[in-house]
Amino acid sequence: MKLMEFDIRGQICPSTLLIALKEMNLHRDALRSGEVQLAFKTDNRDATITIPDAAANMGYGVSVEKEEGYYVIVIEAGQ
Amino acid sequence: MADTAYAYIIPSSLILGTITGFVMHRADFCLAGALRNLCLFRDAALLRATALLVAAAMALFEAGRLAGILPGLPFPLLGPASLATATGGALFGVGMVLAGGCVAGSLYRLGSGSFLSLLAVMGLVAGSALYAEIHPWWQVLQRETTLFADSLTIPQLAGCDPAFVTVPTLVVGSVFLCRWWRAGLFHRRAHAEGYLQPWKAALVLAAVSFASTLVVGMPLGIATTYAKIGGYIEEFLMPGHFAGLSFFRAIPLDYLPPFGGSRLTGGPGPELDAIAAIQFPLIAGIVGGGAVSAVLLGEFGAWRRAPWRQQVSALAGGIIMGLASRMASGCNVWHVLGGLPILALQSIVFCLALLPGAWVGSRILVRAVIRT
Repeated sequence: MKLMEFDIRGQICPSTLLIALKEMNLHRDALRSGEVQLAFKTDNRDATITIPDAAANMGYGVSVEKEEGYYVIVIEAGQ
Repeated sequence: MADTAYAYIIPSSLILGTITGFVMHRADFCLAGALRNLCLFRDAALLRATALLVAAAMALFEAGRLAGILPGLPFPLLGPASLATATGGALFGVGMVLAGGCVAGSLYRLGSGSFLSLLAVMGLVAGSALYAEIHPWWQVLQRETTLFADSLTIPQLAGCDPAFVTVPTLVVGSVFLCRWWRAGLFHRRAHAEGYLQPWKAALVLAAVSFASTLVVGMPLGIATTYAKIGGYIEEFLMPGHFAGLSFFRAIPLDYLPPFGGSRLTGGPGPELDAIAAIQFPLIAGIVGGGAVSAVLLGEFGAWRRAPWRQQVSALAGGIIMGLASRMASGCNVWHVLGGLPILALQSIVFCLALLPGAWVGSRILVRAVIRT
């Protein structure tokens, strides 16, 4: 499985969510088939709610991990 | 003695500011985001929390008034509504979305290490100073387009006791708030460490606004100090031009503080007056509260750079917000946390105008700033 990483730390609200939505749509087929996972690095606390909510509504699986001073939101094929 | 009042006003503002900054950071309680998310994503989660904030503050202010502990209502600095208020409100809506946060949101994010918020705050100072250039004829517009010159609030306009308006408003508002609560719409599925649910933050902020009115004599206000800082800079850089600007000589604040001391006065000019005593500690507190929260969570942003379009947007949004807050005689914090809860006409007009402004700002943001 290929992991695609996007570093969107320090960006203006709500670019974090907009970028995540765009990438989820762009890689829709590969995401659904389990070929890729998308990982978004963000320091926007609100994005740890909005991105997982949007991904879950689209049927994807989501996990959020805290790293050194930021969060990593991983989106993959739903169960 | 003014010093007597400053002895309790300065520490109180600092403490209330610190609580505000800490709570807003934990909940990421962004008043700009509340309207922007509605315009872009049809997401009203933060707007519902803001409605709760206004309702809670309204209940507290009314209870305080009925108990006789808030004799100064409506607050000092509150003026009548006018077309100038509506124009300022709409422009403010554009600016806060472009800046990525309002006057308070930019401060707590600045404290948490956001470089974009630093640019927004710099823009706020520049925009507030810029207003001085249009102040003379803007005052004329304000005067000529004033609505209900003798009434500052809806109860005054209706000529009745405020309770006859606020109590029914609260009853109707409570119906909506209860429906949202039962539907679970106040709870957000959070993953951020130390996250504070926005409804809890809303209640704390309502209490802070009430406490500020009780102790300082007026609700939270920030934006005049941006003009004051701009005045200091302009006086230093262009003393000749500065001397001709009437805006910086105005003294709009003149009131009796609640717990003793002589009358306090202040204005946007570069003086260490009552505005400075109230707002400088408040600003320092909000920045400090955001910083403390971020450092405790290990989430200090270390001024990370954003793409240049976003930097331009934050600076331009700050300038527009600064200018607009002076045009509207107050910022969103002043009007939402203070004016709306007492049904001030100026605040109602300002808040209604925010929405179309935020919609325009959201369009610009998506089409020209965030290039996905």
